[in-house]
Amino acid sequence: MIVAEQKPMAEIKELVAPYKKVLILGCGTCVKTCFAGGEDEVAVMASALRLAFKVDGKEIHVEEQTVERQCEDEFIQESAPAIARNEAVLSLACGAGVQAMARRFKSTPLLPGVNTTFIGVLEKPGLFTEECSGCGDCKLAVFGGICPFTRCAKKLLNGPCGGSQNGKCEVSAETDCAWHLIIERLTALGQMDNLRTYIPPKNWRASLAAGPRRLFREDHVI
Amino acid sequence: MTMESTSRLQKILSSGEFAVTAECGPPRGVDPEIIRKKGELLKGCVDAVNVTDNQTAIVRMSSIAACAHLVDMGLEPVMQMVTRDRNRIALQSDIMGAYSLGIKNILCLTGDHQTFGSQPDALNVFDIDSMNLVRTVKTMREEGRDMSGFELKGSPKMFIGAAANPFADPFEYRIIRLAKKIDAGADFIQTQCVYNLDRFKQWMKMAVDEGLTEKVHILAGVTPMKSAGMARYMAKRVAGMDVPENLIQRMGGVAKEKAPEEGLKICLETIAELREMEGVHGIHLMAIEWEEVVGEIVAGAGLMPRP
Amino acid sequence: MRNGSKVKVTVFHCINVFSEGDSRLAAKGENVELKFVRLPCSSLVKDVFLLRAFEAGADAVVVLVCPEGACRYVEGNLRAKKRVQWVRSLLDEIGMDGNRLALFNLPPGDSSDAKPIIQKVLAQIGTTPQAELSDRPPAGQA
Repeated sequence: MIVAEQKPMAEIKELVAPYKKVLILGCGTCVKTCFAGGEDEVAVMASALRLAFKVDGKEIHVEEQTVERQCEDEFIQESAPAIARNEAVLSLACGAGVQAMARRFKSTPLLPGVNTTFIGVLEKPGLFTEECSGCGDCKLAVFGGICPFTRCAKKLLNGPCGGSQNGKCEVSAETDCAWHLIIERLTALGQMDNLRTYIPPKNWRASLAAGPRRLFREDHVI
Repeated sequence: MTMESTSRLQKILSSGEFAVTAECGPPRGVDPEIIRKKGELLKGCVDAVNVTDNQTAIVRMSSIAACAHLVDMGLEPVMQMVTRDRNRIALQSDIMGAYSLGIKNILCLTGDHQTFGSQPDALNVFDIDSMNLVRTVKTMREEGRDMSGFELKGSPKMFIGAAANPFADPFEYRIIRLAKKIDAGADFIQTQCVYNLDRFKQWMKMAVDEGLTEKVHILAGVTPMKSAGMARYMAKRVAGMDVPENLIQRMGGVAKEKAPEEGLKICLETIAELREMEGVHGIHLMAIEWEEVVGEIVAGAGLMPRP
Repeated sequence: MRNGSKVKVTVFHCINVFSEGDSRLAAKGENVELKFVRLPCSSLVKDVFLLRAFEAGADAVVVLVCPEGACRYVEGNLRAKKRVQWVRSLLDEIGMDGNRLALFNLPPGDSSDAKPIIQKVLAQIGTTPQAELSDRPPAGQA
């Protein structure tokens, strides 16, 4: 899923400051799962903003709504009436959701309420970790299902660096060394020979390096 | 503009002299003789020589090394530096290294995208943009500090250049961007090749009206065309180039062997017009792989001898 | 505190701490308004409820939970504690002073056991202007 986290209140207050009527729009998919922008977070944000403005002696009218998915036009259409009633939208969706909204609602300012951080998994309650960079050229089969490109701080493709100790990354003692995990896993799979395979430089064209990517499915077009 | 650098190009521009710079592309190999040969062709007829930095994203000898060879010959290089291939750590390090080798001018660029080059699989860096590179050199020069605020032992007193393309869209925005580069610290500007003089005039007028030409030296880019094919290629295939149809016709209207001559004629006419324009303080000659013609152009334009 | 108007305190409490709140706990004269919110387990104090209590005009919000290790639902009071901590930081962020919200552990009994806590809270918000309730014990300590 896409993992995001709410921006600090001070930043959000500054973003909404020019407006008197703001719609806080949540998204019921990824950001709901990581507690950044679902219905509950929209309610908390609305209440916190009202209180914050009261403290500052200012007035704000906040409306709340959460759609199933802000990154799909079909779902965001239902927010049209609420958008018409407000001057701006504070979106708690990921960056894709905010932009899908901007595409549809051309004259409404869209303010991001969260920082979209990564594609990740819920490792254990309360802990989300980055697992995929969306590089467009997946080689997980060679690496035993663990992505060194994402999970190694140096993006090393041909084995660990000299800084790994006790299975932890030299950059952060909280982070597992991806190569340690790969070696453990390939050992368990009996595929240690993979480690002898030379991995050539990555083709970055498949990733963001060649500009924003498109996926066109001819078979879905009438 | 502060008189902080020790560059000769700066002295010439500050004195009000019409400056002439040219371009020199390093080889796709290790032979310094190629650089020296190009340098010989340019010696005496230009004030400074731009050395490109892996232009069109094709791997070549480094700009820094090629510049050092020119310094050894007594030429003054303008080191081009793109933000495509190096992060801020490498950029700052190379700026200091370059200055230590006697390189006193820098042209800060973003760089052509690697998909246009010979190794499109490469990762681009773009850690900082050209605007921030200008600002970085300026901070290093004026405050003697790197981007972290660390006080350097000696600072690179470089004359700072940036590029501008009066022909890119949206037109109105181009002046805002120019002003922003000047604010960031650009001392001089080298423009994209000028063929569409009407549009360039309009852009220059906007720059003059905004008072920008009081703050920065603008050197208009000029590239002589060798053939009608080159004119068409630049018009159609090179991003951000504006070659008017009448020039393409003119190049195509003469016999093939006469085309270079026609190209030089157009070039001289262009320079004559540019010299009359308020705010244009010099020209930047980009005779791509045709360095031998630079002397002829400069002499033909009546810009010899150089100071 | 505001002169003339009543000091408002909202008390969220687990019914296992005490079943009915008693507004006489204030016992400080007519200038106090106590509001009790009964919860089958303190873990049900959602963050938004705490904020809305402030929105409804509470000057302070007190959450009363069972002693740690004694929650009938094992970890309900721990969840309440975490949530109170998070809302306190949020209140700080919006300039409301997180000390206006506090959580206290109380052994099961009747609501009279809450009396010293409420008195203490009142003493503090009664004598200091709204923004400063800084000497209060941190959440989780009675």
